[in-house]
Amino acid sequence: MKRVSAVTVRKRIVTVFLCGLLILAIIDFRLGYVQFVIGDQLMAKANNLWTRDITFEAERGNILDVNGEILAENVSAPSVMLVPKQIKNPQKTAEQLAEILDMSVDKAYEYVTKKESMVKVHPEGRKISEEQEEAIRTLNLDGVYLAKDSKRNYPDGNNLAHVLGFTGIDNQGLMGLELYYNDKLSGDKGSLSFYSDAKGKKLEDLADIYKSPKDGLDLKTTINTKVQTIMERELDLAVTKYNPDGALAVAVDPDTGGIIGMTSRPNFNPENYQEVDSKIYNRNLPIWSTYEPGSTFKIITLAAALEENAVDLQNDEFNDDGDISVGGTELHCWKSGGHGHQTYLEVVQNSCNPGFVNLGMELGKDKLFSYINDFGFGKKTGIDLQGEGNGILFKPENIGPVELATTAFGQGVSVTPIQQVMAVAAAVNGGYLYEPHIAKEWIDPKTEEAVETIEPNMKERVISEETSKEVRLALESVVAKGTGRPAYVDGYRVGGKTGTAQKVGPDGHYLKNNYVVSFIGFAPADDPEIVVYVAIDNPKNTVQFGGVVAAPIVGTIIGDSLRALGVKQREGGLDKEYMWPEQPKVEVPDLIGLEKSELTEYMTNLSIETSGSGDTIINQAPQPGAKVEQGAKIRIYLSDKKDNNSE
Amino acid sequence: MFLLFRNLFKHQNAPDYTLLVVIFSLIIVGGVMVYSSSYVWAEYKYGDMFYYLKRQLLFTGAGIIAMFFIMIIPYGTWKKYAKIILLSCFILLLLVLIPGVGMTRGGAQSWIGVGAFSIQPSEFMKLGLIIFLSVYLASNQKYITSLRKGFIPSLLLVFTAFGLIMLQPDLGTGVVLVLTCMVLIYTAGARLSHFFGLAFFGLVGFLFLIISAPYRIARITAFLNPWEDPLGDGFQIIQSLYAIGPGGLMGLGLGESLQKYFYLPEPQTDFIFAIIGEELGFIGGTFVLILFALLFWRGIKISLGAPDQFGRFLALGIVSMLTIQVMINISVVIGLIPVTGITLPFLSYGGSSLTLTLCSVGILLNISRYSSV
Repeated sequence: MKRVSAVTVRKRIVTVFLCGLLILAIIDFRLGYVQFVIGDQLMAKANNLWTRDITFEAERGNILDVNGEILAENVSAPSVMLVPKQIKNPQKTAEQLAEILDMSVDKAYEYVTKKESMVKVHPEGRKISEEQEEAIRTLNLDGVYLAKDSKRNYPDGNNLAHVLGFTGIDNQGLMGLELYYNDKLSGDKGSLSFYSDAKGKKLEDLADIYKSPKDGLDLKTTINTKVQTIMERELDLAVTKYNPDGALAVAVDPDTGGIIGMTSRPNFNPENYQEVDSKIYNRNLPIWSTYEPGSTFKIITLAAALEENAVDLQNDEFNDDGDISVGGTELHCWKSGGHGHQTYLEVVQNSCNPGFVNLGMELGKDKLFSYINDFGFGKKTGIDLQGEGNGILFKPENIGPVELATTAFGQGVSVTPIQQVMAVAAAVNGGYLYEPHIAKEWIDPKTEEAVETIEPNMKERVISEETSKEVRLALESVVAKGTGRPAYVDGYRVGGKTGTAQKVGPDGHYLKNNYVVSFIGFAPADDPEIVVYVAIDNPKNTVQFGGVVAAPIVGTIIGDSLRALGVKQREGGLDKEYMWPEQPKVEVPDLIGLEKSELTEYMTNLSIETSGSGDTIINQAPQPGAKVEQGAKIRIYLSDKKDNNSE
Repeated sequence: MFLLFRNLFKHQNAPDYTLLVVIFSLIIVGGVMVYSSSYVWAEYKYGDMFYYLKRQLLFTGAGIIAMFFIMIIPYGTWKKYAKIILLSCFILLLLVLIPGVGMTRGGAQSWIGVGAFSIQPSEFMKLGLIIFLSVYLASNQKYITSLRKGFIPSLLLVFTAFGLIMLQPDLGTGVVLVLTCMVLIYTAGARLSHFFGLAFFGLVGFLFLIISAPYRIARITAFLNPWEDPLGDGFQIIQSLYAIGPGGLMGLGLGESLQKYFYLPEPQTDFIFAIIGEELGFIGGTFVLILFALLFWRGIKISLGAPDQFGRFLALGIVSMLTIQVMINISVVIGLIPVTGITLPFLSYGGSSLTLTLCSVGILLNISRYSSV
C-alpha cells in the first residue's frame, strides 16, 4: 500500500484551487459575453417584453381624380373595445352586445370574460355602422368603449371599382390602386409605448415613448370622373341591352399614357367586395383578359406597312375576290365574294382581310413581328395595377406564311385590351409608345402640395410623325366611310377600327357564335386627345359585329367625353358618307335561311334589327329585292328551327 | 462564559480577518440585493415590500451569531460527533421522504418542519457528510489508494446520501454534494485511474437518471435552445438572460431592474445573480465573482495551513462546497448549464441555506485560528 505523502495532498489542493479559478474565470467570461456580445440583441427582445404599445393609426391617403374629385376617402367607423374587469354583469352585457353586433351570445360572452386587460371585439365589433354606434352609446355599458377607427368609403359606388380596389378590415390595401400603392397610402403607424410589469400594469416611474403617426399621402390619378361616369353609363346600357359575358372600356390620353377612364363588367362595390365572387374583383378585364384582337389589330399592320413604305394608300390597288391563297391554305375575307377592286384606303375602310394579308406578306415575317414587338405586344405594359396579362404571340420559329398572314389581320395572336389601347395610342400620337399609368401625383394631405409627380414614361418611338398622320387619316375614313360609321361624332373627327374576334374555347377550337366584339376609336383625328377602346364579350340578341355593337358605344363615349373635357370642335374633317356614290339605293338581300353569324358581311351598308331569338333567320322586312336607302334598317326574325333542310 | 472564552482563546490565534471581510461583504450585498429583487413580489404577495428582507435579516442575524459561536468551538469537536451528526442527517433525509412529514415545494419533497422554521435536510447532509468524510479520510488515508479498502467505501457512503437526496428529488444539492466529496477523495490521494473508472459509471448513471425522469431531458434541451419553448422549459433561462443582457457594463442601476416586475419568477432566490447582472452590470457581477474567488482563495489557504489532516480536509470540503455551489448557480443563471435549482450562497433569500452557509464558514474561521502559516 502506497502511502500518500503530504506533498501530494498539498499539490492536489493547489490543483483544485487552480481549476476552481479557471472555472470562475470562464463564468466571468461568459457573463461578459451575455452582457456585451449578445446584450443588444437581448435588450431588444427584452424591450419588446417590457413595453406595451398603444398604436395610433395613420390616416390613409385619399385617392383623387385628375381634378381633385374624391374617389376614395376615410369615414369614421368606431370599433368596440372591452375592459372585462370593469364589466359588472357579463351575461347581460354579452346579450346586449350580441344583439347589436349580430353575433351569438356565447361568442359575446367569450369576449366579455376574456382574461385580458383590453379586448378587441374582432371582427364583429370592428368598424361598426352608425346605427350600431348609436345603440351602444345609448346603452352606456360599463367596460364597453368605442375606439376611434375609420373605414374606406368610395363615393362613386361601383364606378372604377376594379381600378380603385378595396381595403381589408385593418385598412390595408387588398386590390387595385389600394394594393399597388398601399405603402404610400397607408403612411406609418404611430405608437405610445409604456413600460409595464409582467401582469400588464404600467410602471409609472419609466417615461413613455411616443412616436407620432405619419399620415399616408393623397394619390391624385389621371382618371377623369366625368369621363369615367360616361363610360360606366355606356357600359351599363350595353350590359342591359346585350347581356354579355363581360364588357370593358378603357380611355387613355395618347399624349401621356395616362388612363382617363377604365371600367369592367361584371363589377362590384368596393365597400362590399365580399358579396361577389372573388373572380369578379380579381379580374380587371381591361388589363387581365387576353383574347384575339381581330380587326383592331390591323392598325398595327397598317402602321408598319406605311412606315416601311410598303404601300401607298391612295394609289396602290388590291383586288379582293373573297379568298387569298397562302402557303396552300385558302384564307377568306369576312365578306363572301370579296370587296372587289379597291384602293388600299378602301381595304382599310372595308377591313378587307385578303388586303391585309397582302400587306403582311409585303412586310415579311421579320419586319411585321418586329413592329408588333415594338408596339408592346407579348409583354406587360407596366401599368400601375396588379394582375396584368402578357398576351401570346407566335414563337418566331413557328411563324410560317399562314401564321404571318393571319397575324396581319389579327388572328392567331392574343393580346390584352391595355396593350391594344397603348399600341393604337402610339400609332396615332406621332409614334410614341407610352407606359400606361394611373398615378399622377402624390400630395401631402397637410400642405396640399404635390410631393412627387409621376412623369409620363415614353418607352419607344415606333413610327414617324408622317406615318402616324397617315394612319389617323386612314382610320378617320374608316369611321366616315367604312365599317366604323356608327362611331361617327359630328365635329370631332373620330378615327377608329372595328374588331370582331372569335373566342377560343377550352378545347382549343373556335367557339361558334361567340365573339368578342370591339371598337377602338380616337379623336380628334388631327391631334388626338383621347383613345377609347370598348369590347363586349358575347353580346346576345344582336349581330355579333364590332361595328354594330361596340362602335356606337365608343362614338357616344368620345363625343360626350370630349365635350366634358372641353375639347374644341373641329372643322375640315371627313363628312360621314351616307351613300355609296355609285350605288344610290341598295337592294335588300335575301337573308331568309341564313345563320345569324353569316350576317356580318351585310352590315357595311345596312343596319339590322333583330326580333325573336335563335340563330336562324326565318323572315325579314322589307322583303328581298326591295330598294332601300344606304344604311336603312332591315328587321329580321330569328328562330332556332331551320326551315331549310339543306345540311 | 467569559472564562470559557478565555480558555478557548488560549490555544487559538486570531481568525482570518480577510475571510471575515469577504463574508461580511457578501452578506451586505446579499441583504441589499434580496431587498431590491424581492420587494415587487413581496408587495404583490404579502402587501409588504419588506417581507422578504425582514426575514432575510432575521436569518442573517441568527446566522452571524451561529457563525461566531461556531468560530470559537475548536473544530476538533466535530470529529468527536461526526458519526452522530451523519446518522442524524441520514435520519432526517429518510424522514423528509415520508409523506406528511416532508413538505413539497417546487416539485421536490425537500422540507421538514413548520412554516418559516422548516429546514432542508439535504443542506445539513452536505455539511454532515463533509465532516464525516474528512474524519474518515484523515484516519484512513493510507487505504485511499486501494480500490476496495478506500475508494469504494468512500463512494458507497457518498452515493447513499446522493441516492436519498435524489429521491426527493433535488438534483442541484445532490450534484454539489457528490462533486464536493469527489474533491475531498481526490485530494486525499485516490488514484486517477479509479476516477476514470468512476467517470464511466457516472456517465452510465447520469444517463439512467435522465431516462428515469424525463423532465430532466426537457431541462437540458431548454438550456441548449431556450427559445424553442419560451413559455415552458426555456422560460427561466430566457427571463434570466433578459435580465443580464440589458445590464451591460454598468447595469441599469440599483433598484432599476425591470425583470423583477414579475417577469423573472421569484428573483430573490435561485436567480438573484440575474438581477445583480441587470442592476449592477458586468462590473457588479464581476465584483461578486471576485468576492467568491477571494472566499475560495482564503479557504484553500486555511486548508493548506491547517495543523492536521482532518482540519485540512474539513476546510477544503467546506470551501469546495460553497465554491461549487456558486459555480453551478451562476452557470445556470448565465445559461452555461441546465437549470438545477440551487441557491447562491450568502446572496439568495432563504433561511436554511443562509444559516447553514454561515455555520460552515464558522467552522472554516475556526480552523483558520489554528493556522500555522
